[in-house]
Amino acid sequence: MEAISKHTPLHDWHLARNANMAEFCGYDMPLWYSSVKEEHLAVLTGAGIFDTSHMAVVTVTGQGAAELLQDCFTNDLDACVGPTRKPLTPGRCVYGAFLDDSGFTIDDAIVFFLSESNYMVVVNAGMGNSIADHLEKHCDGRNAVVTNLSDRIGKMDIQGPAAAKILKHVLADPGIFFAGMPYFSFRGHFDESSPKADMARLDDGTPLLLSRTGYTGEFGFEIFMNPDKLEHLWLRLLDAGKAYGIRPCGLAARDSLRAGAVLPLSHQDIGPWPFINHPWAFALPYTADRSAFTKDFIGRRALESLKTAEFTYAFVGKDLRKVSAGGESRVMTVEGDNIGTVLTCATDMGIGIHDGKIFSIASPDKPAGFSPKGLCCGFVKVSRQLPFGLQVSIADGRRSIAVTIVNDIRPHRTARRPMAEMI
Amino acid sequence: MKQISELNFPEDARYTDDHEWVKENGDVIRIGITDYAQDQLGDIVFVELPEVGSSLSKGDVFGTVESVKAVSELYMPVSGEVSAVNETLEDHPELVNTEPYESGWMIEINPGDPAGINALKSKAEYLGMLKG
Repeated sequence: MEAISKHTPLHDWHLARNANMAEFCGYDMPLWYSSVKEEHLAVLTGAGIFDTSHMAVVTVTGQGAAELLQDCFTNDLDACVGPTRKPLTPGRCVYGAFLDDSGFTIDDAIVFFLSESNYMVVVNAGMGNSIADHLEKHCDGRNAVVTNLSDRIGKMDIQGPAAAKILKHVLADPGIFFAGMPYFSFRGHFDESSPKADMARLDDGTPLLLSRTGYTGEFGFEIFMNPDKLEHLWLRLLDAGKAYGIRPCGLAARDSLRAGAVLPLSHQDIGPWPFINHPWAFALPYTADRSAFTKDFIGRRALESLKTAEFTYAFVGKDLRKVSAGGESRVMTVEGDNIGTVLTCATDMGIGIHDGKIFSIASPDKPAGFSPKGLCCGFVKVSRQLPFGLQVSIADGRRSIAVTIVNDIRPHRTARRPMAEMI
Repeated sequence: MKQISELNFPEDARYTDDHEWVKENGDVIRIGITDYAQDQLGDIVFVELPEVGSSLSKGDVFGTVESVKAVSELYMPVSGEVSAVNETLEDHPELVNTEPYESGWMIEINPGDPAGINALKSKAEYLGMLKG
Protein backbone atom coordinates (compact mmCIF):
# COMPACT_ATOMS: atom_id res chain seq x y z
CA MET A 1 0.00 0.00 0.00
CA GLU A 2 1.36 3.40 -0.91
CA ALA A 3 2.00 5.64 2.08
CA ILE A 4 0.00 8.84 2.02
CA SER A 5 2.13 11.94 2.51
CA LYS A 6 1.21 14.39 5.23
CA HIS A 7 0.31 17.94 4.31
CA THR A 8 1.32 21.22 5.95
CA PRO A 9 -1.25 24.03 6.36
CA LEU A 10 0.22 25.68 3.22
CA HIS A 11 -0.12 22.59 1.01
CA ASP A 12 -3.07 23.89 -0.99
CA TRP A 13 -1.26 27.17 -1.55
CA HIS A 14 1.80 25.33 -2.90
CA LEU A 15 -0.38 23.33 -5.30
CA ALA A 16 -2.24 26.44 -6.45
CA ARG A 17 1.13 28.01 -7.24
CA ASN A 18 2.14 24.97 -9.32
CA ALA A 19 5.09 24.25 -7.05
CA ASN A 20 7.22 21.28 -8.04
CA MET A 21 6.27 18.96 -5.15
CA ALA A 22 8.04 15.95 -3.72
CA GLU A 23 7.79 13.71 -0.70
CA PHE A 24 10.25 14.70 2.03
CA CYS A 25 10.33 12.79 5.33
CA GLY A 26 6.67 11.82 4.94
CA TYR A 27 5.44 15.28 3.88
CA ASP A 28 4.44 16.45 0.40
CA MET A 29 6.60 19.56 0.18
CA PRO A 30 7.50 22.16 -2.46
CA LEU A 31 10.95 21.73 -4.04
CA TRP A 32 10.64 25.02 -5.90
CA TYR A 33 8.00 27.29 -7.38
CA SER A 34 9.19 28.79 -10.67
CA SER A 35 12.97 29.11 -10.31
CA VAL A 36 15.29 27.64 -7.67
CA LYS A 37 18.02 30.04 -8.68
CA GLU A 38 15.85 33.10 -8.16
CA GLU A 39 14.68 31.73 -4.82
CA HIS A 40 18.27 31.13 -3.69
CA LEU A 41 19.39 34.60 -4.80
CA ALA A 42 16.38 36.31 -3.19
CA VAL A 43 17.52 35.04 0.22
CA LEU A 44 21.00 36.48 -0.34
CA THR A 45 19.81 39.88 -1.52
CA GLY A 46 16.28 40.41 -0.13
CA ALA A 47 14.20 37.75 1.55
CA GLY A 48 12.58 34.37 1.08
CA ILE A 49 9.89 32.56 3.03
CA PHE A 50 9.94 28.81 3.59
CA ASP A 51 7.15 26.48 4.69
CA THR A 52 8.76 24.56 7.56
CA SER A 53 5.67 23.18 9.29
CA HIS A 54 7.00 19.69 8.58
CA MET A 55 9.61 20.16 11.31
CA ALA A 56 8.88 18.50 14.62
CA VAL A 57 8.50 20.19 18.01
CA VAL A 58 8.88 18.43 21.36
CA THR A 59 8.54 20.16 24.73
CA VAL A 60 10.33 19.10 27.89
CA THR A 61 8.96 20.49 31.15
CA GLY A 62 9.38 19.90 34.86
CA GLN A 63 12.10 20.30 37.44
CA GLY A 64 14.15 17.57 35.84
CA ALA A 65 13.90 18.99 32.30
CA ALA A 66 17.28 20.73 32.25
CA GLU A 67 19.04 17.69 33.68
CA LEU A 68 17.36 15.37 31.16
CA LEU A 69 18.41 17.58 28.26
CA GLN A 70 21.95 17.86 29.64
CA ASP A 71 22.06 14.09 29.66
CA CYS A 72 20.72 13.64 26.11
CA PHE A 73 21.78 16.74 24.15
CA THR A 74 25.37 17.22 22.99
CA ASN A 75 25.68 20.92 23.74
CA ASP A 76 26.22 22.04 27.34
CA LEU A 77 23.24 24.13 28.46
CA ASP A 78 25.44 25.51 31.24
CA ALA A 79 28.17 26.58 28.83
CA CYS A 80 27.09 27.26 25.24
CA VAL A 81 26.30 30.94 24.61
CA GLY A 82 28.83 33.08 22.80
CA PRO A 83 32.58 32.63 22.45
CA THR A 84 33.06 32.49 26.23
CA ARG A 85 30.39 29.78 26.51
CA LYS A 86 28.04 31.32 29.03
CA PRO A 87 25.00 29.39 30.36
CA LEU A 88 21.83 29.29 28.25
CA THR A 89 19.30 31.78 29.67
CA PRO A 90 15.54 32.07 29.04
CA GLY A 91 15.02 33.58 25.58
CA ARG A 92 18.11 31.91 24.13
CA CYS A 93 18.41 28.76 22.04
CA VAL A 94 21.28 26.51 21.09
CA TYR A 95 22.16 24.00 18.36
CA GLY A 96 23.31 20.45 19.10
CA ALA A 97 22.47 16.81 18.52
CA PHE A 98 20.95 13.76 20.18
CA LEU A 99 23.24 10.73 20.08
CA ASP A 100 22.86 7.09 20.92
CA ASP A 101 25.26 5.12 23.13
CA SER A 102 27.54 4.55 20.13
CA GLY A 103 27.90 8.30 19.63
CA PHE A 104 25.89 8.05 16.40
CA THR A 105 23.51 10.88 15.53
CA ILE A 106 19.79 10.27 16.03
CA ASP A 107 18.98 13.82 14.93
CA ASP A 108 20.20 17.39 15.27
CA ALA A 109 18.11 19.97 17.08
CA ILE A 110 17.75 23.44 18.49
CA VAL A 111 16.86 23.60 22.18
CA PHE A 112 14.89 26.69 23.20
CA PHE A 113 15.02 27.75 26.88
CA LEU A 114 11.47 29.10 27.34
CA SER A 115 11.45 29.60 31.11
CA GLU A 116 12.62 27.81 34.24
CA SER A 117 11.94 24.06 33.80
CA ASN A 118 10.40 24.69 30.39
CA TYR A 119 12.19 23.84 27.14
CA MET A 120 11.20 23.40 23.51
CA VAL A 121 13.18 21.12 21.21
CA VAL A 122 12.90 21.53 17.44
CA VAL A 123 14.02 18.52 15.42
CA ASN A 124 13.73 17.41 11.81
CA ALA A 125 10.58 16.34 9.98
CA GLY A 126 9.28 12.98 11.11
CA MET A 127 11.65 12.84 14.10
CA GLY A 128 9.22 14.02 16.81
CA ASN A 129 8.34 10.51 17.99
CA SER A 130 11.92 9.19 17.91
CA ILE A 131 13.28 12.09 19.93
CA ALA A 132 10.33 12.10 22.36
CA ASP A 133 10.83 8.33 22.90
CA HIS A 134 14.57 8.79 23.33
CA LEU A 135 14.05 11.50 25.95
CA GLU A 136 11.41 9.48 27.80
CA LYS A 137 13.61 6.41 27.80
CA HIS A 138 16.34 8.40 29.56
CA CYS A 139 14.10 10.14 32.10
CA ASP A 140 15.34 7.75 34.79
CA GLY A 141 12.82 8.87 37.39
CA ARG A 142 13.50 12.56 36.82
CA ASN A 143 10.56 14.91 37.11
CA ALA A 144 10.27 15.69 33.40
CA VAL A 145 7.34 15.56 31.00
CA VAL A 146 8.05 15.07 27.30
CA THR A 147 5.30 16.13 24.87
CA ASN A 148 5.43 15.68 21.12
CA LEU A 149 3.69 18.70 19.53
CA SER A 150 4.50 17.66 15.95
CA ASP A 151 1.85 18.68 13.40
CA ARG A 152 0.14 20.86 16.01
CA ILE A 153 2.25 23.98 15.43
CA GLY A 154 2.51 26.04 12.27
CA LYS A 155 6.02 27.08 11.29
CA MET A 156 7.54 29.21 8.57
CA ASP A 157 10.92 30.85 8.17
CA ILE A 158 11.70 34.27 6.74
CA GLN A 159 15.33 34.48 5.74
CA GLY A 160 17.42 37.17 4.08
CA PRO A 161 18.82 40.61 4.85
CA ALA A 162 15.39 42.28 4.47
CA ALA A 163 13.65 39.86 6.88
CA ALA A 164 13.28 42.30 9.79
CA LYS A 165 12.30 45.20 7.51
CA ILE A 166 9.47 43.07 6.14
CA LEU A 167 8.40 41.62 9.50
CA LYS A 168 8.13 45.16 10.87
CA HIS A 169 5.05 45.65 8.69
CA VAL A 170 3.11 42.80 10.30
CA LEU A 171 4.16 42.90 13.97
CA ALA A 172 2.15 44.69 16.66
CA ASP A 173 5.15 46.36 18.29
CA PRO A 174 8.24 45.86 16.16
CA GLY A 175 10.40 48.48 17.88
CA ILE A 176 10.30 46.80 21.26
CA PHE A 177 10.42 43.43 19.67
CA PHE A 178 13.66 43.76 17.76
CA ALA A 179 15.61 45.71 20.38
CA GLY A 180 18.57 43.69 21.55
CA MET A 181 17.83 40.43 19.82
CA PRO A 182 21.08 38.56 19.15
CA TYR A 183 21.62 35.55 16.89
CA PHE A 184 20.10 32.43 18.50
CA SER A 185 17.65 34.32 20.70
CA PHE A 186 13.85 34.35 20.51
CA ARG A 187 10.80 36.21 21.77
CA GLY A 188 7.19 35.40 22.51
CA HIS A 189 5.21 32.18 22.49
CA PHE A 190 2.71 30.65 20.08
CA ASP A 191 0.43 29.61 22.97
CA GLU A 192 -2.03 32.36 23.96
CA SER A 193 -2.02 31.09 27.56
CA SER A 194 1.74 31.58 27.95
CA PRO A 195 2.86 34.67 29.89
CA LYS A 196 5.39 35.19 27.06
CA ALA A 197 2.68 35.48 24.39
CA ASP A 198 2.50 39.26 24.74
CA MET A 199 6.15 39.64 23.78
CA ALA A 200 5.54 38.94 20.10
CA ARG A 201 2.24 39.37 18.33
CA LEU A 202 1.09 40.04 14.82
CA ASP A 203 -0.81 43.29 14.40
CA ASP A 204 -4.03 41.22 14.43
CA GLY A 205 -3.12 39.88 17.88
CA THR A 206 -1.90 36.39 16.86
CA PRO A 207 0.85 35.32 19.29
CA LEU A 208 4.15 34.12 17.81
CA LEU A 209 7.36 32.57 18.91
CA LEU A 210 9.91 34.37 16.78
CA SER A 211 13.43 33.07 16.79
CA ARG A 212 16.50 34.68 15.22
CA THR A 213 17.65 31.44 13.67
CA GLY A 214 17.29 29.64 10.34
CA TYR A 215 18.86 27.18 7.98
CA THR A 216 20.30 29.40 5.28
CA GLY A 217 23.26 31.16 6.90
CA GLU A 218 21.48 34.44 6.27
CA PHE A 219 19.84 36.90 8.64
CA GLY A 220 16.29 35.93 9.46
CA PHE A 221 13.74 34.31 11.69
CA GLU A 222 11.92 31.08 12.33
CA ILE A 223 8.28 31.69 13.24
CA PHE A 224 6.18 29.27 15.33
CA MET A 225 2.46 29.92 15.52
CA ASN A 226 -1.12 28.64 15.42
CA PRO A 227 -1.28 26.55 12.20
CA ASP A 228 -4.70 28.03 11.35
CA LYS A 229 -3.08 31.47 11.00
CA LEU A 230 -0.08 30.35 9.00
CA GLU A 231 -1.42 31.04 5.52
CA HIS A 232 -2.62 34.46 6.64
CA LEU A 233 0.90 35.43 7.75
CA TRP A 234 2.45 33.83 4.64
CA LEU A 235 0.28 36.03 2.39
CA ARG A 236 0.88 39.14 4.48
CA LEU A 237 4.66 38.65 4.31
CA LEU A 238 4.55 38.11 0.54
CA ASP A 239 2.63 41.36 0.25
CA ALA A 240 4.76 43.35 2.72
CA GLY A 241 7.96 42.01 1.13
CA LYS A 242 7.20 42.93 -2.49
CA ALA A 243 9.45 45.98 -2.40
CA TYR A 244 12.31 43.81 -1.14
CA GLY A 245 11.95 41.11 -3.78
CA ILE A 246 10.55 38.51 -1.37
CA ARG A 247 9.95 35.05 -2.83
CA PRO A 248 8.38 31.86 -1.56
CA CYS A 249 11.19 29.30 -1.50
CA GLY A 250 11.13 25.52 -1.65
CA LEU A 251 13.34 22.79 -0.24
CA ALA A 252 15.80 22.93 -3.16
CA ALA A 253 16.81 26.52 -2.41
CA ARG A 254 16.89 25.64 1.28
CA ASP A 255 19.35 22.85 0.49
CA SER A 256 21.64 24.93 -1.72
CA LEU A 257 21.63 27.83 0.77
CA ARG A 258 22.46 25.63 3.75
CA ALA A 259 25.23 23.83 1.86
CA GLY A 260 26.94 27.15 1.07
CA ALA A 261 26.53 28.13 4.72
CA VAL A 262 28.30 24.91 5.87
CA LEU A 263 25.21 23.62 7.71
CA PRO A 264 24.60 19.85 7.87
CA LEU A 265 21.50 18.02 6.69
CA SER A 266 20.56 15.43 9.29
CA HIS A 267 20.58 11.81 8.05
CA GLN A 268 22.85 12.88 5.19
CA ASP A 269 25.85 14.83 6.56
CA ILE A 270 25.39 13.57 10.11
CA GLY A 271 23.86 10.19 10.77
CA PRO A 272 24.56 6.66 11.97
CA TRP A 273 28.27 7.25 12.56
CA PRO A 274 30.16 9.07 15.36
CA PHE A 275 29.21 12.75 15.75
CA ILE A 276 32.77 14.09 15.90
CA ASN A 277 35.61 15.30 13.65
CA HIS A 278 33.24 17.42 11.59
CA PRO A 279 32.78 21.16 10.88
CA TRP A 280 30.22 21.46 13.71
CA ALA A 281 32.48 21.31 16.75
CA PHE A 282 30.39 24.11 18.30
CA ALA A 283 27.65 21.50 18.81
CA LEU A 284 29.87 19.51 21.17
CA PRO A 285 30.62 20.60 24.76
CA TYR A 286 34.32 21.19 24.29
CA THR A 287 36.50 22.99 26.83
CA ALA A 288 38.17 26.16 25.53
CA ASP A 289 41.30 24.27 24.49
CA ARG A 290 39.24 21.45 22.91
CA SER A 291 41.06 18.88 25.01
CA ALA A 292 37.98 17.54 26.84
CA PHE A 293 34.22 17.79 27.22
CA THR A 294 32.65 20.02 29.87
CA LYS A 295 29.82 17.64 30.75
CA ASP A 296 28.67 14.06 30.50
CA PHE A 297 26.14 13.11 27.80
CA ILE A 298 24.84 10.03 26.03
CA GLY A 299 27.38 9.02 23.41
CA ARG A 300 30.30 10.75 25.13
CA ARG A 301 32.11 7.59 26.09
CA ALA A 302 31.92 6.26 22.55
CA LEU A 303 33.21 9.53 21.07
CA GLU A 304 36.14 9.51 23.51
CA SER A 305 37.20 5.97 22.72
CA LEU A 306 36.96 5.74 18.93
CA LYS A 307 39.23 3.10 17.46
CA THR A 308 39.10 4.36 13.88
CA ALA A 309 38.27 7.94 13.09
CA GLU A 310 36.47 9.35 10.08
CA PHE A 311 36.53 13.06 9.24
CA THR A 312 33.85 15.22 7.64
CA TYR A 313 34.93 18.30 5.70
CA ALA A 314 33.31 21.01 3.64
CA PHE A 315 34.54 21.37 0.06
CA VAL A 316 34.09 23.81 -2.78
CA GLY A 317 34.53 23.20 -6.50
CA LYS A 318 35.92 25.39 -9.28
CA ASP A 319 32.64 25.80 -11.15
CA LEU A 320 29.04 24.74 -10.69
CA ARG A 321 29.37 21.16 -11.95
CA LYS A 322 28.31 18.55 -9.43
CA VAL A 323 28.61 14.83 -8.88
CA SER A 324 25.89 12.63 -7.40
CA ALA A 325 26.45 12.24 -3.67
CA GLY A 326 25.89 9.00 -1.80
CA GLY A 327 27.07 5.42 -1.75
CA GLU A 328 28.46 5.29 -5.30
CA SER A 329 30.51 8.46 -4.91
CA ARG A 330 34.25 8.54 -4.17
CA VAL A 331 36.78 11.00 -2.81
CA MET A 332 40.23 10.56 -4.38
CA THR A 333 43.55 12.09 -3.38
CA VAL A 334 45.86 13.42 -6.12
CA GLU A 335 47.91 10.25 -5.52
CA GLY A 336 44.84 8.22 -6.51
CA ASP A 337 43.82 6.84 -3.11
CA ASN A 338 40.11 6.36 -2.55
CA ILE A 339 39.59 7.94 0.88
CA GLY A 340 35.85 8.35 1.26
CA THR A 341 32.44 9.36 -0.04
CA VAL A 342 30.50 12.52 -0.86
CA LEU A 343 27.72 13.28 1.65
CA THR A 344 26.29 16.41 0.01
CA CYS A 345 27.03 17.95 -3.38
CA ALA A 346 24.95 21.04 -4.20
CA THR A 347 25.41 24.29 -6.11
CA ASP A 348 25.46 27.57 -4.23
CA MET A 349 24.19 29.77 -7.07
CA GLY A 350 25.12 33.03 -5.40
CA ILE A 351 28.89 32.60 -5.38
CA GLY A 352 31.74 32.53 -7.84
CA ILE A 353 35.54 32.69 -7.98
CA HIS A 354 37.37 35.84 -9.05
CA ASP A 355 41.20 35.94 -8.96
CA GLY A 356 41.27 32.83 -6.80
CA LYS A 357 38.91 34.21 -4.17
CA ILE A 358 35.25 33.35 -3.56
CA PHE A 359 32.76 36.22 -3.65
CA SER A 360 29.01 36.22 -3.11
CA ILE A 361 26.55 38.42 -4.94
CA ALA A 362 26.02 39.96 -1.49
CA SER A 363 29.75 40.61 -0.91
CA PRO A 364 30.33 44.35 -0.35
CA ASP A 365 33.77 44.04 -2.00
CA LYS A 366 32.64 42.01 -5.02
CA PRO A 367 34.36 42.90 -8.30
CA ALA A 368 32.58 45.26 -10.70
CA GLY A 369 30.16 43.41 -12.98
CA PHE A 370 30.39 40.23 -10.85
CA SER A 371 27.74 37.81 -12.06
CA PRO A 372 28.42 34.37 -10.57
CA LYS A 373 27.15 31.15 -12.10
CA GLY A 374 27.53 29.31 -8.82
CA LEU A 375 29.97 26.86 -7.29
CA CYS A 376 29.55 23.23 -6.41
CA CYS A 377 29.97 22.65 -2.69
CA GLY A 378 29.06 20.26 0.08
CA PHE A 379 30.58 17.73 2.44
CA VAL A 380 32.82 14.68 2.18
CA LYS A 381 33.47 12.00 4.79
CA VAL A 382 37.00 10.62 4.56
CA SER A 383 39.20 8.14 6.39
CA ARG A 384 42.04 10.55 7.18
CA GLN A 385 42.60 14.05 8.50
CA LEU A 386 43.01 16.62 5.70
CA PRO A 387 44.38 20.18 5.78
CA PHE A 388 42.22 23.09 4.58
CA GLY A 389 43.29 24.10 1.09
CA LEU A 390 44.01 20.52 -0.02
CA GLN A 391 42.86 19.59 -3.54
CA VAL A 392 41.03 16.29 -3.91
CA SER A 393 38.74 14.87 -6.58
CA ILE A 394 35.18 13.81 -6.05
CA ALA A 395 33.66 11.37 -8.49
CA ASP A 396 30.54 9.45 -9.34
CA GLY A 397 30.03 7.00 -12.18
CA ARG A 398 29.79 9.87 -14.66
CA ARG A 399 32.47 12.44 -13.88
CA SER A 400 35.31 13.40 -11.60
CA ILE A 401 35.81 16.99 -10.50
CA ALA A 402 38.57 18.77 -8.59
CA VAL A 403 37.51 20.39 -5.33
CA THR A 404 39.25 22.08 -2.42
CA ILE A 405 38.81 21.12 1.25
CA VAL A 406 37.76 24.33 3.01
CA ASN A 407 36.67 25.60 6.42
CA ASP A 408 34.03 27.95 4.97
CA ILE A 409 32.16 28.38 1.69
CA ARG A 410 29.83 31.36 1.01
CA PRO A 411 31.46 34.61 2.23
CA HIS A 412 29.68 37.59 3.78
CA ARG A 413 26.74 35.69 5.21
CA THR A 414 24.37 37.88 7.17
CA ALA A 415 23.08 35.53 9.91
CA ARG A 416 25.21 37.11 12.65
CA ARG A 417 24.97 40.75 11.59
CA PRO A 418 23.98 43.13 14.43
CA MET A 419 20.22 43.70 14.49
CA ALA A 420 20.73 47.47 14.38
CA GLU A 421 22.17 47.14 10.85
CA MET A 422 19.19 45.09 9.66
CA ILE A 423 16.18 47.21 10.66
CA MET B 1 5.15 21.86 -11.66
CA LYS B 2 2.96 22.66 -14.61
CA GLN B 3 -0.05 20.60 -15.60
CA ILE B 4 0.54 18.55 -18.73
CA SER B 5 -2.05 20.71 -20.48
CA GLU B 6 0.03 23.81 -19.81
CA LEU B 7 3.13 22.37 -21.46
CA ASN B 8 4.06 22.89 -25.07
CA PHE B 9 4.76 20.02 -27.49
CA PRO B 10 5.15 21.05 -31.15
CA GLU B 11 3.29 18.93 -33.70
CA ASP B 12 6.31 18.84 -36.04
CA ALA B 13 8.66 17.18 -33.53
CA ARG B 14 9.12 13.51 -32.61
CA TYR B 15 9.70 12.46 -29.00
CA THR B 16 11.59 9.81 -27.02
CA ASP B 17 10.74 7.97 -23.81
CA ASP B 18 13.69 9.83 -22.22
CA HIS B 19 12.05 13.20 -22.99
CA GLU B 20 14.24 14.34 -25.87
CA TRP B 21 12.69 15.88 -28.96
CA VAL B 22 13.87 15.59 -32.54
CA LYS B 23 13.05 17.93 -35.44
CA GLU B 24 14.12 17.74 -39.04
CA ASN B 25 15.99 20.86 -40.04
CA GLY B 26 16.90 20.50 -43.71
CA ASP B 27 19.40 17.65 -44.05
CA VAL B 28 20.23 17.53 -40.38
CA ILE B 29 18.12 16.80 -37.36
CA ARG B 30 18.05 18.97 -34.27
CA ILE B 31 17.76 17.51 -30.76
CA GLY B 32 16.78 18.99 -27.44
CA ILE B 33 14.77 18.17 -24.31
CA THR B 34 11.03 18.60 -23.99
CA ASP B 35 9.06 21.21 -22.10
CA TYR B 36 8.06 18.43 -19.70
CA ALA B 37 11.73 17.54 -19.04
CA GLN B 38 12.81 21.12 -18.39
CA ASP B 39 9.83 21.66 -16.08
CA GLN B 40 10.71 18.53 -14.09
CA LEU B 41 14.41 19.43 -13.85
CA GLY B 42 13.90 23.04 -12.74
CA ASP B 43 16.52 25.70 -13.39
CA ILE B 44 19.10 24.35 -15.79
CA VAL B 45 22.49 25.71 -14.83
CA PHE B 46 24.88 23.82 -17.08
CA VAL B 47 24.73 21.81 -20.30
CA GLU B 48 27.61 19.56 -21.34
CA LEU B 49 27.58 18.72 -25.05
CA PRO B 50 29.72 16.48 -27.29
CA GLU B 51 32.44 17.53 -29.73
CA VAL B 52 31.33 18.29 -33.26
CA GLY B 53 32.22 15.28 -35.38
CA SER B 54 31.46 12.69 -32.69
CA SER B 55 29.73 9.59 -34.01
CA LEU B 56 27.15 8.26 -31.62
CA SER B 57 24.75 5.36 -31.69
CA LYS B 58 21.09 5.43 -30.77
CA GLY B 59 20.87 5.29 -26.98
CA ASP B 60 24.42 6.62 -26.37
CA VAL B 61 24.86 9.41 -23.86
CA PHE B 62 25.56 12.59 -25.84
CA GLY B 63 25.79 14.98 -22.91
CA THR B 64 24.51 15.96 -19.53
CA VAL B 65 22.12 18.60 -18.36
CA GLU B 66 22.68 19.90 -14.88
CA SER B 67 19.91 21.40 -12.82
CA VAL B 68 20.19 22.65 -9.29
CA LYS B 69 18.71 19.37 -8.17
CA ALA B 70 20.53 16.78 -10.24
CA VAL B 71 22.74 15.89 -13.19
CA SER B 72 20.82 14.07 -15.91
CA GLU B 73 22.10 12.27 -18.97
CA LEU B 74 21.02 13.02 -22.52
CA TYR B 75 20.51 10.06 -24.87
CA MET B 76 20.78 9.91 -28.66
CA PRO B 77 17.28 9.39 -30.11
CA VAL B 78 18.82 8.04 -33.33
CA SER B 79 22.38 7.31 -34.40
CA GLY B 80 24.38 9.91 -36.25
CA GLU B 81 27.35 12.25 -36.42
CA VAL B 82 27.23 15.51 -34.49
CA SER B 83 27.37 18.38 -37.00
CA ALA B 84 26.75 21.28 -34.60
CA VAL B 85 26.26 22.01 -30.92
CA ASN B 86 24.40 24.99 -29.49
CA GLU B 87 27.30 27.01 -28.10
CA THR B 88 24.97 29.69 -26.75
CA LEU B 89 24.00 27.28 -23.98
CA GLU B 90 27.48 27.57 -22.49
CA ASP B 91 26.66 31.08 -21.26
CA HIS B 92 22.88 30.81 -21.28
CA PRO B 93 21.81 27.34 -20.12
CA GLU B 94 18.53 28.87 -18.96
CA LEU B 95 17.41 28.95 -22.62
CA VAL B 96 16.66 25.25 -22.21
CA ASN B 97 14.03 26.28 -19.65
CA THR B 98 12.62 29.25 -21.47
CA GLU B 99 12.72 28.08 -25.10
CA PRO B 100 13.30 24.32 -25.09
CA TYR B 101 12.37 23.88 -28.79
CA GLU B 102 13.88 27.06 -30.17
CA SER B 103 17.05 28.70 -28.86
CA GLY B 104 17.37 25.96 -26.21
CA TRP B 105 18.17 23.24 -28.78
CA MET B 106 21.24 21.16 -27.98
CA ILE B 107 22.82 19.38 -30.94
CA GLU B 108 22.38 18.82 -34.68
CA ILE B 109 23.29 15.51 -36.24
CA ASN B 110 23.61 13.95 -39.65
CA PRO B 111 21.44 10.92 -38.99
CA GLY B 112 22.92 7.52 -39.75
CA ASP B 113 19.42 6.13 -40.15
CA PRO B 114 17.01 8.89 -41.28
CA ALA B 115 14.07 6.46 -41.18
CA GLY B 116 14.78 5.86 -37.48
CA ILE B 117 13.04 9.12 -36.68
CA ASN B 118 9.75 7.65 -37.76
CA ALA B 119 10.04 5.06 -35.02
CA LEU B 120 9.99 7.82 -32.36
CA LYS B 121 6.80 8.97 -30.67
CA SER B 122 4.43 11.50 -32.20
CA LYS B 123 3.10 14.32 -30.06
CA ALA B 124 -0.06 12.33 -29.36
CA GLU B 125 1.92 9.22 -28.42
CA TYR B 126 4.27 11.20 -26.16
CA LEU B 127 1.35 12.94 -24.46
CA GLY B 128 -0.26 9.55 -23.98
CA MET B 129 2.89 8.34 -22.21
CA LEU B 130 3.05 11.42 -19.95
CA LYS B 131 -0.55 11.06 -18.94
CA GLY B 132 0.12 7.38 -18.15
